[in-house]
Amino acid sequence: MDDQNQENLRELLATFFDAEQVDSYAEDFQQAEQVFHQHPAPEPDDRLIANIKTEIAISLGRRRVKRFKRWLYEAAGVAAAIVILAIISLQLFEKPVNQPGNNSYTASLLPTALWESNDIAADDVDLAVFTAEIEQIEYEVHTLESGEDITESETSVTELEMELAEINTDFWKG
Amino acid sequence: MAQDDDLAKLIIGCKDGNNECFSQVVGLYSSRCYGYFYRLSGNHDISDELLSELFVKLVEKIGSYKGGSFESWLFKIAANLFHDHLRGKQRRKKLIEARQGQIGSDIMDPIRADDERIDRLQIQLKRLDPDTRELILLRYYSQLSFKEIARMRSEPIGTTLAKTHRGLKKLRQLMEG
Repeated sequence: MDDQNQENLRELLATFFDAEQVDSYAEDFQQAEQVFHQHPAPEPDDRLIANIKTEIAISLGRRRVKRFKRWLYEAAGVAAAIVILAIISLQLFEKPVNQPGNNSYTASLLPTALWESNDIAADDVDLAVFTAEIEQIEYEVHTLESGEDITESETSVTELEMELAEINTDFWKG
Repeated sequence: MAQDDDLAKLIIGCKDGNNECFSQVVGLYSSRCYGYFYRLSGNHDISDELLSELFVKLVEKIGSYKGGSFESWLFKIAANLFHDHLRGKQRRKKLIEARQGQIGSDIMDPIRADDERIDRLQIQLKRLDPDTRELILLRYYSQLSFKEIARMRSEPIGTTLAKTHRGLKKLRQLMEG
């Protein structure tokens, strides 16, 4: 069995001992180690080596199974965590549809900036009524103009004019 | 250098769980490790057991090997295994109230060792103090540098050198005597 560090031994000894001692020490080391060369230890039995290799193969197999199981458990853990997170996210961020108490936004027929009213919804209803009335009046004016109701034409026109004036006033009052 | 590269490849293979790489490592180191255990214990059965344990440990612990001298790492495990063996033996000895005495001398007892096969070196090694004997055997079988041995034993390199020199000189005298 060769000493792979033999080359550095003298250099190493020189750091601790003087030149004369280095030679003596180096020689002592070499001669004493020769004793081991002359009396080699017994070699391990071939069956022992075969058994060790078998044992290693079994151990590696167990390790692979263990590693796979660990991977499986980790994957299951990650999957479970993802499912739990998804459920929590759904509960936190999902907006229930048509539930009372939720804010519902309705658009006004007239822009708020123009109308400047405190009750736009009520104004919308009024507006719808006024629109209907105007349409009715327009229809009646059209009827009169076409001469379908000649007898009461004078009175009707006056009434219509009054009605329009009233609506006009109501409308702008809001 | 080529040997170092080959060994590095083997170790990478071992870390990947390659059975063939482990087999090659067993082939490379079983002889030296067995010699180390045998010279420490003087017993074939104990050496067989310790060698098996060593390679089982190698499989278990190869992931913790972070580079550096592989021999140093492997023989540190080997040394620890032998110390564990000694401690176990000591506990058993206390339990059965066996005779008192140094653990080392008990281990090396020719009656318990393979006395029919024991050689002269084994007998003379027994006459060294356990620490020196272990140091000499570690130096010879692990082929580690004194620097690595000193680091492994957590002692100054000068101490390691002096102890080894003293021990080897004494061993030589015993063998010649």
